[in-house]
Amino acid sequence: MDPRDLTDMQLDALGEVGSIGAGHAATALSQLLGTPVDIDVPDVRLLPVTEVPAVLGGPENLVGAVYSRLLGDLGGGLLFVLDCEGLLQLSDLLRSREPGTSKSLGSAEEATVTHAAAMLISAYLAAVARLTELSALPGPEQFAFDMLGAILEGVSMQIGLKVDNAILILTRFSTAGTSVDAALFFLPDPDSLDVMLGRLGII
Amino acid sequence: MTISNTTGGFWADPDENTVVVATGELAVVVHPQVLVTPALGSCVGVTLWDAFARRGGMAHIMLPSPSDTRLGGLADRFATVAIPRLAEAVTGGLPRRRLVAKLAGGSTMFGGEANITGIGMRNVDAVKQQLSLLRIPVVAEDIGGNYARTMELYLDTGLVVVRSYRYGIKEL
Repeated sequence: MDPRDLTDMQLDALGEVGSIGAGHAATALSQLLGTPVDIDVPDVRLLPVTEVPAVLGGPENLVGAVYSRLLGDLGGGLLFVLDCEGLLQLSDLLRSREPGTSKSLGSAEEATVTHAAAMLISAYLAAVARLTELSALPGPEQFAFDMLGAILEGVSMQIGLKVDNAILILTRFSTAGTSVDAALFFLPDPDSLDVMLGRLGII
Repeated sequence: MTISNTTGGFWADPDENTVVVATGELAVVVHPQVLVTPALGSCVGVTLWDAFARRGGMAHIMLPSPSDTRLGGLADRFATVAIPRLAEAVTGGLPRRRLVAKLAGGSTMFGGEANITGIGMRNVDAVKQQLSLLRIPVVAEDIGGNYARTMELYLDTGLVVVRSYRYGIKEL
């Protein structure tokens, strides 16, 4: 399907799924950290996978990414993407430290970000599963820190080059003092996307 | 993270002489033009260079052969299609004996369970097989590992520059 065929109402429905997922993830993170963490979804778009590098600063942009394969009734994958600065900021935010404390990406920062991404991905899939009455489970999370283009290529290889459209869920983590923007990509294969939109009652 | 609608800058600092080869495409140019392909992961960048004509080509290979996917798309993303076509385009039907090949890419971006298929090395093997069928020697390569690479070919010297965040600049 062509992403431009989606109506505003259909995009709203996808946004709603994203917001519910973000809400659950925020609750879980707040419980873990003992301080309130908000997760907002300021923007949701459906776009062709080939346009993703252009939207996120070019194929050579250095990013951190967490990939999880989609298991259950739906096929595809999920990818959480953050730029260098965002990785350190999110790590500080989740470890209740002053913004700017983390100076370099070590195993602790990597683990923190992977963990947060895993919770966000699980919460999002739980929302998808609930609203569509389908089973949608995340596979094991893998972290990579490199060029965006190569990471996306790696992801499309894992899912067998079947994905043509990506749902971009712009995600904003915030606490009292700071906020960090990240991008969550939901990459269902074309059949799964149709089934999902159908179950949401919007096609 | 900023979400924009513009393509970010390349390290290669493109000018009017830079020809960017996108994923699954190939291109042939003459000096002073420079060929660049960004962000090779499990894909393989292949360059063929004719020292006498200062002419060369580059392909960005995604998969070994058309039997690896059911989906339509660019035919030049397959090693079995792109390599013969690239050799033909660089020589223009003349003998291929002056051509030399260099390779970069074929890495594994995600480890562990996500890497069952080993597509990076399969791509490298398919490219080498096609080159040996055409009797084109591979004179240099920078392949494997778990990091991304950008590849450039300069047509005056045949120099290939491989850039990565992990190891900086390598010359082949």
